[in-house]
Amino acid sequence: MSAIAFFGAVELGLVFAFVGLGVYLSFRILDFPDLTVDGSFPLGAAVAAVALVGGVDPWLATAAAIAAGACAGLVTAFLNVRFGILHLLASILTMIALFSINLRIMGRPNVPLLNQATIITPFYDHGLAAYLVRPVFLAVLVAIVVLGLAWFLATDFGLAMRATGANPRMARAQGISTPVYIYTGMALSNGLVGLAGALFAQTNGFADVTAGVGTIVVGLAAVIVGETLFRSRRLWVVLVGVVAGSILYRIAIQLALSFDAIGLEPSDLNLATAVLVALALILPRLRKSRAAA
Amino acid sequence: MRKLGLALAAAVVAAPALAADIKVAVTAIVEHPALDAARDGIKEGLAAEGFTDGKEIDFIYQSAQGQPATAAQIAKQFVGDAVTVIVPISTPSAQAAVAATKDIPIVFTAVTDPVAAELVPSLEAPGGNVTGISDMSPMADHVALIREITPNVKTIGVLFNPGEANSVSLVNRLKEVATAAGLAIVEAPVTKSADVQAAARGLVGKVDAMYVPTDNTVVSALEAAIAVADENDIPFYSGDTDSVKRGTLASIGFNYFDVGVETGKVVARVLKGEKPGAIDVTFASGTDLFVNKSAAEKMGVTIPESVIARANTVVE
Amino acid sequence: MIRVAGLTITFARGTPLEKTALDGIDLSVEAGEFVSIIGSNGAGKSTLLSALAGDFPPTSGRIFIDGVDVGRQPTARRSARVARVFQDPLAGSCGTLTIEENLALAAARGSRRGLGTALKQGRRAVFMERLKSLGLGLEGRMSDRMALLSGGQRQAIALVMATLAPSSVLLLDEHTAALDPGMAEFVTGLTRRIVEEHRLTTLMVTHSMRQALDLGTRTVMLHEGRIVLDVGGAERSRLTVEDLVAMFRRQRGKDLDDDELLIG
Repeated sequence: MSAIAFFGAVELGLVFAFVGLGVYLSFRILDFPDLTVDGSFPLGAAVAAVALVGGVDPWLATAAAIAAGACAGLVTAFLNVRFGILHLLASILTMIALFSINLRIMGRPNVPLLNQATIITPFYDHGLAAYLVRPVFLAVLVAIVVLGLAWFLATDFGLAMRATGANPRMARAQGISTPVYIYTGMALSNGLVGLAGALFAQTNGFADVTAGVGTIVVGLAAVIVGETLFRSRRLWVVLVGVVAGSILYRIAIQLALSFDAIGLEPSDLNLATAVLVALALILPRLRKSRAAA
Repeated sequence: MRKLGLALAAAVVAAPALAADIKVAVTAIVEHPALDAARDGIKEGLAAEGFTDGKEIDFIYQSAQGQPATAAQIAKQFVGDAVTVIVPISTPSAQAAVAATKDIPIVFTAVTDPVAAELVPSLEAPGGNVTGISDMSPMADHVALIREITPNVKTIGVLFNPGEANSVSLVNRLKEVATAAGLAIVEAPVTKSADVQAAARGLVGKVDAMYVPTDNTVVSALEAAIAVADENDIPFYSGDTDSVKRGTLASIGFNYFDVGVETGKVVARVLKGEKPGAIDVTFASGTDLFVNKSAAEKMGVTIPESVIARANTVVE
Repeated sequence: MIRVAGLTITFARGTPLEKTALDGIDLSVEAGEFVSIIGSNGAGKSTLLSALAGDFPPTSGRIFIDGVDVGRQPTARRSARVARVFQDPLAGSCGTLTIEENLALAAARGSRRGLGTALKQGRRAVFMERLKSLGLGLEGRMSDRMALLSGGQRQAIALVMATLAPSSVLLLDEHTAALDPGMAEFVTGLTRRIVEEHRLTTLMVTHSMRQALDLGTRTVMLHEGRIVLDVGGAERSRLTVEDLVAMFRRQRGKDLDDDELLIG
């Protein structure tokens, strides 16, 4: 694998790390299976792209994408909390509605950003190759978010959110108004996914309404790979694990792209990726059982 | 286990060293009959110009399997492998390639509106490292064909996915042309293949004819729409000729293999030393007339002899 | 302290499954009283506790705690005044959180949960001391996950959690029923100590007649959603388990199938 391809995979992994962290918040912290992300990812991309084309400052455009994602999360939470619609169904409703909304926002299915100044533009041309600038920039952003989340989840408020997902009856008995935490958590989760969408559009030069397909799968893969490889009761280690999981997933795809050298067809890509991810999950366990034997 | 991993890694790392010096890297967003035909055409077009896969050139192909994120990874893979030319098929793959490199020549194909997609600033001598072939459907010819075969048609229902960039461009173009010809358009949007049948049924009674542009979503569930057209005697036209073989009435379209051949010839020009920025972006030519006689019978249409005589392919 | 007036709770109202769990209960409990509540299965004991905690609103009647009408307040709002220990040891704490995190959740009960660190140094010192007083050695396992503890240990911690934040009322819902005899005795002793130490107004539902008489200052017997016996003071201190059973039979005028359960 070439350096450009490797760091390209890392870059994309870091973009999707925000999806992983968002999915970790909804699935693991809140115990809220949330498919909204398939819609809030392209939503973030759409909002950022349209704002950028409209001449908005890239940081502001990215902030708007986060806010839009958060709103999508709030809608799902509202449907669930206020009307008692099953969480999975509530999130599917929001997700399919977002497809139309994203088209409305963009006015067409694809908004190119190939000639726009983005959030990363100011960091180019300072001596570092472009294919390294993006991953370094994203790594800093991911680190800030991981630290922020680790801090947040250790506060009284964050702890109450964890209790809301872990044992809602106990949470209420301890005076925790669970709806408040579901709203906050879902907004935070989808805000992160919206951020991922905005960063994807800006690092890859386009927002496309189809870009959200399978976002939840990628997010879940990051969470599961991360949790399997980084077993710890320390929350920040698990969060770092989710980031690592997201990067590993992308490296698996990148590796699978090189498999034509060993006779695989291009159509085998998804299969090869799945096998590589499965190996990543199984290998540490094999080593452990061998050590035990 | 570790040995296996090392061997695998060695195979992956060592592979590029075996390749020919000239690498033509082709990628498409998804597996699709038209896109696959374009890919095969590119290979053929290159061979016709003296660049045969396995001899003069190494022809590489990757599919993103429907994921724009994977398209970005494929583009970076190609840039990292320092291929000679990148040939992206479809808009998202082309955008990913253009975002990934400003140096390696890019010859896109099967992109409907390359200027709107910001692949090139203009069609004539676009400059930079990008040129290619646009497959904007000859919409005026389609409308003329509809009027020639079924002169009583006043309203056309169009099945398409508003989420596909190409389809939206095509439908907008269709509306312009149809309005100019005094025809009305009824839009029947679908967002997934499973909805095609319901959308087609919704048009029954409202339209005199149905039309599907080169839309991946609708075309993948084309038979569902054809069944509705057959049952209700609605002439059903398509924007691509492959669909005529599957049971639409008629089309003037591209043979994507021919589009690929054309693209391959442009790639060959680049390989021979022309600057991509100096090559005009052109609209694909070689449009073929396809008619389907048995479909006409099922839809209660008689195709005029003049049209049949002119057709490149008549499906019985 | 607690005043319940004409409290009626009907489940599945208007359906063939309609069931009146509480039927016009009137009950006043003074500050510092410790009431044990007994009754056969389906008598309404747990429903009464849940209604006080706020799990469901009264069908009719009113509930006052500290003079405030709390009948329509959701559980979370009421919890500033009411602490509760469940029968199921798994219900009262989060298995995936650590001991100290569970304690921190309880310590913030009734106050605004802000963005301050939950495991502050001062708090942890208090937790350490409280756990030490249990004598179970849990003070050395503060960062262990709750799921690693036994049922008894979890109930002991649930009792500690009930007293970490100030509250007026402690509700105990058969909190020793799921424990082995040794641990049940330990938790019973702990309950006595904690209630005395913190001078809590307590309502305890129990299946055990002996526990009902051993613990507390007053005993209430429920049957079919009504209070059929309410004794305290000298009259109660003369009562034996056998008296209680006999009294029950006299009240209801019929034999009970579940004598065994009552004596248990």
